[in-house]
Amino acid sequence: MSAPGPGAPVIEARGLTRRFGAFTAVDAVSFEVERGEIFGYLGANGAGKSTTIRMLNGLLAPTSGTARVAGHDVAADPDSVKASIGYMSQKFSLYLDLPVMENLLFFGGAYGLSGKALRVRAGELLELTGLAGQDAAITGSLPGGMRQRLALAGAILHRPEVVFLDEPTAGVDPVARRAFWRLIRQLSSGGTTVFVTTHYLDEAEYCRRIGLMVDGRLVALDSPAGLKRTWVPDRVLVARGQGLAGAAAALAGRDGVRSVQPFGAGLHLRVDPARLDEAGVARILAAAGAREVAVDRAEPSLEDVFLAVVGREARGEAAT
Amino acid sequence: MKGRIGRSLVRIYAMAAKEGRHIVRDPRTLYMSLGMPVLLLFLFGYGVAFDIDRIPLAVVDQDRTESSRALVHALTASRELVSVGELPDPAAALGAFRKERAVAALVVEKGYERALLAREVVPVQLLVDGADALVANQLLAKADALVRAESQRLATAEVGERTPPVRVKVWTRYNPDGRSAFYMVPGLAAYLLAITAVLLTALTIAGEWERGSMEQLFASPIGRLEIVLGKLLPYLGLGLLEFLLVVAFGMTAFDLPMRGSGFALATLGLVFLLGMLGQGLLVSVIAKNQTVATQAGTMSSLLPSLLLSGMIFPIENMPVVLQQISRVIPARYLVHGLRGVLLKGNGLDVLWPDLVALAVFAVVVIGLATARFQRRLA
Repeated sequence: MSAPGPGAPVIEARGLTRRFGAFTAVDAVSFEVERGEIFGYLGANGAGKSTTIRMLNGLLAPTSGTARVAGHDVAADPDSVKASIGYMSQKFSLYLDLPVMENLLFFGGAYGLSGKALRVRAGELLELTGLAGQDAAITGSLPGGMRQRLALAGAILHRPEVVFLDEPTAGVDPVARRAFWRLIRQLSSGGTTVFVTTHYLDEAEYCRRIGLMVDGRLVALDSPAGLKRTWVPDRVLVARGQGLAGAAAALAGRDGVRSVQPFGAGLHLRVDPARLDEAGVARILAAAGAREVAVDRAEPSLEDVFLAVVGREARGEAAT
Repeated sequence: MKGRIGRSLVRIYAMAAKEGRHIVRDPRTLYMSLGMPVLLLFLFGYGVAFDIDRIPLAVVDQDRTESSRALVHALTASRELVSVGELPDPAAALGAFRKERAVAALVVEKGYERALLAREVVPVQLLVDGADALVANQLLAKADALVRAESQRLATAEVGERTPPVRVKVWTRYNPDGRSAFYMVPGLAAYLLAITAVLLTALTIAGEWERGSMEQLFASPIGRLEIVLGKLLPYLGLGLLEFLLVVAFGMTAFDLPMRGSGFALATLGLVFLLGMLGQGLLVSVIAKNQTVATQAGTMSSLLPSLLLSGMIFPIENMPVVLQQISRVIPARYLVHGLRGVLLKGNGLDVLWPDLVALAVFAVVVIGLATARFQRRLA
């Protein structure tokens, strides 16, 4: 019941499970999230991300398993959990007919803030989220990116220890998404723990650790770099030059070549580093008639990880 | 402990203030609660007047004497019946009914004056179009009274100053002119208040579900009683304003008297509103979407308040089953209470059973709404 010590995890899930009738939405998920961490929760639609968040929020009772958030048990003491977290649900839940400031004042009041302290804090957050001067604007008239930053402001008015963001950037343009992630990093460096779900894999790179959900199970959990090392052991190479399209056929099926894909004007390939290196690839391409060939190593993306994980799950192989 | 109550009050206030701002910003809510009732009261007040006035009367005068003309004059002098012209025979009168030129026809047969002078009992026919039973009934009563007055006049004119041995003097208290507006307006006020109050709150919680903001509320420390109270308060204010507006309008437009105390009136109205707003919340909590909530809210308030409240149809005349059902219709108690306060000048010393019934309904329905309101999803 007491507040966790400085080293203790802020979120702790043990065998967290939620069934809806015969359907298991979340299946025995366990993980820990450290204070100030940006924890990304990835998965396809329906993989169980929102259900996990709702259990951690005290909105849904777990069918089995336990979870503690900010030192409180989510099943036994949901009200204490609710008071110490901020939540931004998938559907922006602002009141579009009300002005920006009224939305903040309402959500502040819902968390027990009032009077001058609330107004000062609301002003601070408008400043922080780049909405200063928009106090009186009707929320519904704001563009999506601003609304989403306003929703975040509403979720952190009461300085929660943990913020849960469920697909906060869905349907928002790339520039606005980047501005939003700057805010998230700012929050995290201020000591707030951020638990965020997304299906934009480029955004997930900003997370310190990522959990990957497939069909209700947490199948991978590591830092972005760690995930890439574990899940994409192949070397990713990019070949550029003239006449590559004709020469690509020569690579396919060669010993050590895992995949070849056209990528812009060049080729994107994955090779087994034990059997084939950059120079080998260049030799094969040149022999097949390509000219001015340059082969460079590339960083695997989280998309490669995601495809590898989903692919293995689809083949039904056991987890490591 | 004090801190906890304080925080709870802050949350209720935040909810109420937010809801108040929704109301102020939504012209439809304001129209529905303030404009529509006054408009409806105006239309109903005049349209649903049961007083019969200027009824077209055809005259078939086959006697054509001084006396027969005196009888026609006696019937039409008050303008409640208006002569639309003479017809040659009773058959023509039926034609006039069909063409809706007349609703009644007075047939004075030849020999009327002669029979009068001979002191015989004189038959006079009144043909009435019975298609509208309400009009026909009132017409019969009126014609009967007018003819009786005429025969009394004839009798006294002949005998001189002699007064009849028995005279019944009817003295109608509270509504001596029998004006229907006097009993309709309190009924209408209750009826309109019932519909709008139920609809106002029926829409508000369903709206939070539809918008998705309910999940956000549930994820915050705001409790379900706090949500319910926060949503009730501004609508209670609005409803009370509506109530006073309707009563004030009834007083100016229909000369409705106000014989009792404003305190009794406001107390009855307030407790009634609490119950109806609570009923709207209950509908809203169960329905979870605005379309269903609107329909359920209308059905559950409009029909019972119209049919079972005693507003139009006297409860005493209903079958026993309906009389029993009407006991759980709050409008019944408000209609009774309002008529008591406005027309009879009764206070809560007489009307307390109505107040208690309204309070019980309010407590039960708000309790049910809060209990049915799950703060967790699924």
